[in-house]
Amino acid sequence: MDPLSLIPSPDALPVSYGWLKALLLSTFTLHIVFMNIMVGSCIVALFSGQGKYDAANTPSVQNDLTGKLTFIVAFTINLGVAPLLFLQVLYGNFFYTSSVLMASYWLSVIPLLIIAYYSVYISKMKFQSPGPRWRFLMWLTTAIFLIIGFLFSSNMTMMLRPDTWSAYFSAPGGTILNLGDKTLWPRYLHFMTASIAAGGLFSAFLGNQRLKKGLAGNDKRIAAGMKWFTHATMLQLVIGTWFLMSLPSHISRQFIGGNTTATILFTLGFAAAIVAIFFGYKKKVRLSSVMFLITVILMVLMRDLLRTAFLKPYISLSDIPVTNDYLPMFIFIISLVIGIGVMVYMLRLTATAVKKQQNM
Amino acid sequence: MNYPVWDLSTFGGGFWIAFIAVIHVYVAHFAVGGGFFLVITEMWAAREDSSEILAYVKKHTQFFLLLSVVFGAVTGVGIWFTISLLSPAGTSSLIHTFVFAFATEWVFFLGEIIAIFIYYYTFDKMAPKQHQFIGWCYVGFGWLSLFTINGIVSFMLTPGDWLTTHNFWDAFFNPTFSPALFFRTFMALMLAGLFGFVTSVYIKGKPLRDKMLKYCAVWLILPMILLVLSAFWYAAALPEAQTEMMFSLSPEIMPFLKLFTWLTPVIMLTAIFLAIRFFPVSLKKVTAFCLIIMGLLYMGSFEWMREAARKPYIIFGYTFSNSINTADLEAVTKTGILKSARWVSHKEITPENQMTAGQEIFRLMCSPCHSVGGPINDILPVTKKYPVFAMDAMINGMGKIDTYMPIFPGTKIEREALAAYIVKGLHDRPDEKTPPEPNTLVAEKIPPFNADKDEYILLAWNNTGMQTISDSDPFWSIQPPGNTIYAQLIRRGELPELVTDDVIIEYSAPPEFAFPARHVSFWSYAESLFGKTPQLDTGLTGNGLKGEMAPHPSENAFIAEMVPVVPYPENAVYNPYPVFTVTAREADSGDILATAKTVVPVSTEMGCRNCHNGNWRIDDRTGIGAVTSSDILAVHDEKTGTTLLEQAENGSPKACKSCHTPDDPKILNLSASIHGFHANYLAGMGDAACHTCHPSSPDGATRSFRGFHNSMDFSCSSCHGRMEDHALALLINEKKTGKERAETLLKYLSPKAVKKISEINPRKPWVNEPDCLHCHINFEMPDTDEVEINSRTTSESGLFRNRTDDAGIMCAACHGITHAVYPAENPFSSNRDVLQPMQYQGNAYPIGANKNCRLCHTIDMEDEMHHPNTLTMFRNTY
Repeated sequence: MDPLSLIPSPDALPVSYGWLKALLLSTFTLHIVFMNIMVGSCIVALFSGQGKYDAANTPSVQNDLTGKLTFIVAFTINLGVAPLLFLQVLYGNFFYTSSVLMASYWLSVIPLLIIAYYSVYISKMKFQSPGPRWRFLMWLTTAIFLIIGFLFSSNMTMMLRPDTWSAYFSAPGGTILNLGDKTLWPRYLHFMTASIAAGGLFSAFLGNQRLKKGLAGNDKRIAAGMKWFTHATMLQLVIGTWFLMSLPSHISRQFIGGNTTATILFTLGFAAAIVAIFFGYKKKVRLSSVMFLITVILMVLMRDLLRTAFLKPYISLSDIPVTNDYLPMFIFIISLVIGIGVMVYMLRLTATAVKKQQNM
Repeated sequence: MNYPVWDLSTFGGGFWIAFIAVIHVYVAHFAVGGGFFLVITEMWAAREDSSEILAYVKKHTQFFLLLSVVFGAVTGVGIWFTISLLSPAGTSSLIHTFVFAFATEWVFFLGEIIAIFIYYYTFDKMAPKQHQFIGWCYVGFGWLSLFTINGIVSFMLTPGDWLTTHNFWDAFFNPTFSPALFFRTFMALMLAGLFGFVTSVYIKGKPLRDKMLKYCAVWLILPMILLVLSAFWYAAALPEAQTEMMFSLSPEIMPFLKLFTWLTPVIMLTAIFLAIRFFPVSLKKVTAFCLIIMGLLYMGSFEWMREAARKPYIIFGYTFSNSINTADLEAVTKTGILKSARWVSHKEITPENQMTAGQEIFRLMCSPCHSVGGPINDILPVTKKYPVFAMDAMINGMGKIDTYMPIFPGTKIEREALAAYIVKGLHDRPDEKTPPEPNTLVAEKIPPFNADKDEYILLAWNNTGMQTISDSDPFWSIQPPGNTIYAQLIRRGELPELVTDDVIIEYSAPPEFAFPARHVSFWSYAESLFGKTPQLDTGLTGNGLKGEMAPHPSENAFIAEMVPVVPYPENAVYNPYPVFTVTAREADSGDILATAKTVVPVSTEMGCRNCHNGNWRIDDRTGIGAVTSSDILAVHDEKTGTTLLEQAENGSPKACKSCHTPDDPKILNLSASIHGFHANYLAGMGDAACHTCHPSSPDGATRSFRGFHNSMDFSCSSCHGRMEDHALALLINEKKTGKERAETLLKYLSPKAVKKISEINPRKPWVNEPDCLHCHINFEMPDTDEVEINSRTTSESGLFRNRTDDAGIMCAACHGITHAVYPAENPFSSNRDVLQPMQYQGNAYPIGANKNCRLCHTIDMEDEMHHPNTLTMFRNTY
């Protein structure tokens, strides 16, 4: 069956696609950073043995990370809403289709997320020190997050492959995963390994904050965190290469000379990872964090080029009609600016209040 | 049509969206109202300087956080996930229209999360005023979320001017935006009080607990009063179509409207109960839990009504539930569903793939609202009664009269495939049995006639050649038993004369037909049905199965009106053609002047059961059974709000014509109503539409169309026109008199014989009927066999059955009655419908055919004094 005949026709965009793309990529970057920290924190917490890296009189790595996880999960979800929205506007005809094809799995994300989220809260509220029950809940949470990640990878790759969609006709019950796609596993592992790196870095970052406050004994913890970070990032070089090789050759070629932008981004991304490993090895938490963020931004941009390349035979965003209704977008931007202003003000009030209390 | 459909079967029909949406909306409203509750209670605590109340607020905040931030937020995302899976096209429309409204709401959502986290974690760390400020920030963000989402949700029900302008602001600030915003705000505040009970009831110290329970009761009751007021405003703001769907058309809404109405006082009373100090706390704990359930039902019933009032659309007036835009309906109907849809494997339907193609059509068209064997809108019980034909008709009429379902947008062949899939695929229903062949009866013995000696010619006939009665008397009656017999007596001679004086004419049914009351229950219900109590085996006119015919000098005829014959003889199962003997006697002497035999047809083969469930009442071939009869009443009650079934079950059935009179100012006359209604379901079916209800089918038990025109391969529509035109003419006449229902019924009927409805002339039933002389111009051989639908008789006296020739002999006397004109061939025995031609002429032709003037005149004649074209040979051999 001709894949073109299956692709739903897109609806008109309210504003030029450039705006929507910019919003998609910027909000996705935020989401993916939080997601990386969320998944990574779970893994790092699980594998950081009780007291192994902890200084006296400070919360254990486990408690510390689970304490933060409730917030991180909340922001991961919230910051995921925006890119999911813009994705639907730009690529809804691909995304909805692949979602329907894997509908049973896709909808299961919601109950799974609720279970994981409550399990994080329970681990935080009920267990002062990590015991077997804490361990069970964290394993559960981690497993769920890994499953959800896999489902997202499956959906995000399947939406790029209309040539595989005709599988629907023999399985219309929403039970198709993109398992036949060579890029699925390396892509998924690429994201999850990045999460491990981010988890280690985040743990080190928390330790570093304490260190700056003059709390002694966080060195071991920082060292352990940075080890997670550097090792995972090194592994990432292997997985990244696997991912690159798994791409159809006409696409992978773009990143190694075939397309200038793609090649520059790829080179910069590769270099950024190397620099990050270097800083990680040197235990420079802040610099590593900056390099991590730069790498993420470059990877998000490359991911977008990859999507464009995959969808090239089927759609060009510039061909979608535009209704040019800009006023709602300005209202959104104004709401965003005012909203962020209020949020910053609230956070400053909090910081001042907390500082005041600590000084008392 | 653009997207694949998630095949859910049991959990289809929107189960997941109903499930997720209701619980999300419940928690989300609490998340808005609860913010007000927290910060206002905190301010109260500060005013009263009560650390106890403040401690309660903190505890309640934890409950609030866990419920709203986790469950509320994730289920909110869940709604997105769900709608995009169940209705991707509709979701795409919404997202593309409202992307920046959604984006703005996301900003508020982010603000809410930050604010509630700060609020919860800084209870003891921040100055009260600042802490309250954070609380108010939460309230602001929360309420703005509601404000934004309300614009989108209310748009779907009442898109208002957006339908023409496609302007974002018209969509957002739509006709129900404001009432819905107030309604939801009060709902949110009310739920804040409701959820407040859940934590308050667990407060350990009684004084504080009592105080807080009372406080929560105020929080619940005051907004609820305002909620009720805003509900009225909301209802009043609904445009007419939505109001109609909400309060009268949709069968789904009523139970929820009742639930919503009843729960309002129940919830308030429960709140009062909880606030009364006297009752034990253990009971209150259980009650608070029940209150949570009641709140869920309350919110759920409202949301259900709002969703159902939108039927058959996703976006009212713009996108149907099956994702077809109203603007595309005509094009899709023309092209066909399969050819218009992307995600189907069959583009053409063949006998081999009919079932799988039907399944694909089901998935596209039905599964958006119907589950198969599941909890929501299960397709199985509502289609159980239909065989394929009926299912097809049902789909054909869908959305035309009952507008809560969309019109089926496919071709005829697609409709048939869908019907076949539902009936055979989902129900595994066997094919319908064809009725047994009519019993062959022995040729009727013809009375003797001696052309040389006999002085009289007695001609007798019935006045409705295709006569149907309903043997559904315990439930309803469309027609009492019987048929009317006519006779004319001619004294032979060079100048023959019609005799009505000094003679009596008797009729008698065959003995096996003498006891109709043994076979139908008309006599048990006659009073309720027709307001009369005739003796057993006697008709409403007082005539029995034998008796004297009444002279009607003005018509030179004798008439026995409505002789109560039924087609159930003692010696056979079914015989719709009883042969009566008619005898003319001299009044004084009683001497027999002439004897003739005539069929008095009467059938019970009304095909109601073809669509209305149940089997034939008699021997798989005829009669209206109890199941069918009650189903008809149930449907009538459902569609028009009558209580006919209940009345029938209480022993008081009604005759259709007791309401559907010709002169009622509002109710349609019976013909217009019954044809107008059913034409919507039977449109496009040609003569099959007629055979569905009337005993005209060539394969049926009666085969009433047996006259010469039948032998010429004419059909019902040759004279009566197609079902659509037939119904339209009747409805147009009723519409002229201002009956609104006529407008509803004719809205979706397209004329067949002409291009526009305006070209159809109005028609009164039993007055404006097919006119023989339309084709037989000047009694000659027709030039055409096509009916001109507007060419009808203009008065009752112009009807074939009432007309006479120039000598006063009625048309039917010589030609036989309608549907059985000579030479007719009776399906039960060949001579049954031509007894008099055979008796008097030895052939089956009309009386006097082939220049047989001698039959009455005793000599040959030269003038065509009866009507033109009489002095010719019968054109067609027989």
